[in-house]
Amino acid sequence: MMLAPRMRPVIAAVAGVVVFAWIVGQQDLWVRALSALFPGSVRPVYPAATVAELTLQHLRLVGISSGLTLLVGIPLGIWVTRPSGADFREIVSASVDFGQTFPPVAVLALMMPILGFGLWPAVVALFLYGMFPVVSNTVAGLEAVPGTLIDAARGMGMGRGRILLAVELPLAARVIMAGVRTSVVINIGTATVAAAVGAGGLGDPIIGGINVQNMAYVLQGATAAALLAIVADGLLAGAERLLTPRGLEA
Amino acid sequence: MITLRDVTKSYGEVTAVDRVSFEVPSGEVCVLIGPSGCGKTTTLRMINRLIEPTSGTIEIDGRDIMDSRPEELRRHIGYVIQSVGLFPHLTVAENVATVPKLLGWERRRYEPKALELLEIVGLPPAEYAEKYPRQLSGGQAQRVGVARALAADPPLLLMDEPFGAVDPLTRERLQAEFARIQRELRKTVIFVTHDVDEAIKLADRIALMRAGRLEQYDTPETLLDHPASKFVHDFMGSDRALKRLGRACVADVMRTDVESTTDGTRAIPREACTDSRFVYLTDESGVLEGWVDCRVLDAGTPPEDAGTPVDWREAAVHPETTLKDALSRMLGFGFRNVAVVDAQGRLVGEVSLAAIEATMADADTHIANLEEGEVLGALPDEEARS
Amino acid sequence: MVALTGCALLPFVEFRANRIVSGEPESVLAAGIAGWVLVAFVVLALAGAVAPERARGPLLLAAGAGSGLALLWALGVAAVRLQQGAPAIARVSIGPGAWLAGLGALVVWFAGTRATGSARVRRTAGAVALLGVAAVLMWGGLAELSIAREYAVQSRRFWGLVRQHLVLAGSGVGFGVLIGIPLGVLASRNRVVREVGLGVVSVIQTIPSMAMLGLLIAPLSALGLAAIGTTPAVIALTLYALLPVMRNTFVGLAGVDPGVIDAGRGMGMGRLQLLVRVEAPLALPLVIEGVRAAAVLVIGIAAVTAFIGAGGLGILVFQGWGQQADDLTLLGAIPMVVLAVLADISMRGLRRLVVSPGIEEGAVS
Repeated sequence: MMLAPRMRPVIAAVAGVVVFAWIVGQQDLWVRALSALFPGSVRPVYPAATVAELTLQHLRLVGISSGLTLLVGIPLGIWVTRPSGADFREIVSASVDFGQTFPPVAVLALMMPILGFGLWPAVVALFLYGMFPVVSNTVAGLEAVPGTLIDAARGMGMGRGRILLAVELPLAARVIMAGVRTSVVINIGTATVAAAVGAGGLGDPIIGGINVQNMAYVLQGATAAALLAIVADGLLAGAERLLTPRGLEA
Repeated sequence: MITLRDVTKSYGEVTAVDRVSFEVPSGEVCVLIGPSGCGKTTTLRMINRLIEPTSGTIEIDGRDIMDSRPEELRRHIGYVIQSVGLFPHLTVAENVATVPKLLGWERRRYEPKALELLEIVGLPPAEYAEKYPRQLSGGQAQRVGVARALAADPPLLLMDEPFGAVDPLTRERLQAEFARIQRELRKTVIFVTHDVDEAIKLADRIALMRAGRLEQYDTPETLLDHPASKFVHDFMGSDRALKRLGRACVADVMRTDVESTTDGTRAIPREACTDSRFVYLTDESGVLEGWVDCRVLDAGTPPEDAGTPVDWREAAVHPETTLKDALSRMLGFGFRNVAVVDAQGRLVGEVSLAAIEATMADADTHIANLEEGEVLGALPDEEARS
Repeated sequence: MVALTGCALLPFVEFRANRIVSGEPESVLAAGIAGWVLVAFVVLALAGAVAPERARGPLLLAAGAGSGLALLWALGVAAVRLQQGAPAIARVSIGPGAWLAGLGALVVWFAGTRATGSARVRRTAGAVALLGVAAVLMWGGLAELSIAREYAVQSRRFWGLVRQHLVLAGSGVGFGVLIGIPLGVLASRNRVVREVGLGVVSVIQTIPSMAMLGLLIAPLSALGLAAIGTTPAVIALTLYALLPVMRNTFVGLAGVDPGVIDAGRGMGMGRLQLLVRVEAPLALPLVIEGVRAAAVLVIGIAAVTAFIGAGGLGILVFQGWGQQADDLTLLGAIPMVVLAVLADISMRGLRRLVVSPGIEEGAVS
């Protein structure tokens, strides 16, 4: 069967998600594999939760925080490039640039004294940290749309809202999606660390494993977390590809 | 002298250049021309081995180019390209000094040389030497490109559409400057272009290529008058007589004994108009400010109203302007005479339609028909100024 | 706005009977007049945001610096006041309101540096702000704050950890540059290196740092190397530094105008001469930008390596989390931010210093 070239990465990404979901769901597989790798270990598999449960916890943390990030970040990026928000463009860009130099662990750490431990403080930290690439790419993407195109659209009688929807956003989609992708992948990584502040997820077996000197737990969590990040990255790369207007494809 | 013998370049099945042979005597400008994809640039780039020939030999003054290392060879051949390729991180002076530095010259040798070359290409070193390429206009950048190619005093210059990327006015100026520099330095030049007018203007010989083969190699006059094939005839264009005018410049046919007066605003007596039709008005230093048409005086117009003020930048030509451009200027203004000024606008002479006609007495087709009654009669004459 | 609401509604400082127990909130008014000065500067910042173009930069700079300094001052005053008569183990820690105000001051300051056209105004404002910070520190009121007390307890260990953090991050970036630049050069010359190399390095980049440390354990143990401690940490940091350095080197080299390369070759430059004299200087801004990104990234990831016993400031953060001691966590986190920001600033400075003025600023990042 012939596939359109632009669909190939998308199909591959979806296939990756399916395979990943299957692997995560097969607790037996993990037990057998880890027992084989660590024959001496009495308990080669993290006992507190199955891989599937841990992955779902992880996804919940990332899903809520990244979802909030998109809901707030993209409109914010759009707003500061509109005349009504232009006054705040500098402040927003400055904070976003500054924020991007912050180590993610430090952002988690700075949130703790204010919000305490647990899932929700971690969600807030991930939400805030995830904003930086999303806002910065939304602004960059929209500002990269050639002024001549907007002029042309205006000349054809399009209103502001229509120009945004029909011209600017489609042209900026690739850049915005790249920001979303960076943001989500960083969030998956930081969420692993957030296990240390009681947010749960795939970081649990890694931290727990190091604490009790059980390398099998560590490997279990690390493998699942790495796969999750790679699969999510692939999926978002596919989405990036799909959202890119055909005329802009390289 | 450059000699190409049966030079061929193939890429797999495709033959880009097919057994091309020609010879360029020292000090001459050979223009390679032809439609895109005809192999002219490939031929040029084989001479400094940016492309290695598949077969055939190329000799420079009797030495096979394959005998020296490519880098060594290139350092002794000037190279100018359409995109200029100035190094953005280096100043203009450093750019010009590139090849001398590669050749291991000492600073006290290459520095004055670089400044001297900037002067030659018309960029005062005091102003331009320390500038960076991004501060230059397209025309200025290409002047630096030419200076850079000349820096190590190579006997041979390869130029690949050097004036292709600048606006028409700048191109015309650069062509004139190039012709002037070439008269002084007498380099052997291989020049690629797709612009027939440029070729006719600059070439001592034209090599017209088509699909990798050399169609005809001869002087521009021969290509125009005796094309070897229909392709050559069509490529050179139907307005061949006009094109030939691109070979001569105003300086060749202008008369210098023109009437002029600094009394611009005061009445010109009819007696001042002796044997010429126009009396030119200039300021104290000779800069053209306008003219008076003697026929207007004859017609009884009061002398104080007879002067027409003009801007020399628009209404005059330069000695190095080609006759073709001068003719087009005359047709545009509707006059049979036009003033000639130097670079500062000082009046140096006048060129007339009759003088241009005389130079192409032997020309064919429609210029020969430009009799008074036909085309010229249609020119708006006196009315143009009323 | 957020900052204003922050310091008005949220507790400004918290008073706690000792290091661990949770505290009683106190409002910004605990700082007396200093608190009101702070509020005034926040209002000035708001005025600056809507001021006309020309006045905006200096106004924002003044408001940012002013509110930052007033904040420090107010914190000190509040701490001294609350500490009076309290037992020695009592702590006054910085409350959420103060944090938000501090963040706001920083944001306003950065917006100010951006909106200010004149470099001289920027430099002057920077010097004044630094002097102000120095003065507040000399005054000593801040030493009464809990984080300063924590520092006093941990000071010897603290500087050791800072050094360790720098060594870890420095080696990661160092090896990343040593490997990444040649790989980037190769990628620009060779299609296989470009596609496979950049692909592999990009996948590495997506792996969460903690997972990476976990995944390194098995292969390192198999090689007989320490799976815990400095070795895996430096390996992981190097892997993360590779992508920005390699990709930017490649992009920088690939972005060199082909006409410039053609001219260089046509004038008789050899491959190496072309690389050293033409391509490298032209790619330099992007390469430095890559090293900057790598440095900022790796300083952050070095915090995570504390998990596997590599040391660094992450230790303070994780111990702080373990003991629920916020002051300890902050003592690790704040210097980490400072290190990252300093690395960012110094690499930007280096770029201005070494990149030829002939090359336009503002290349791709």
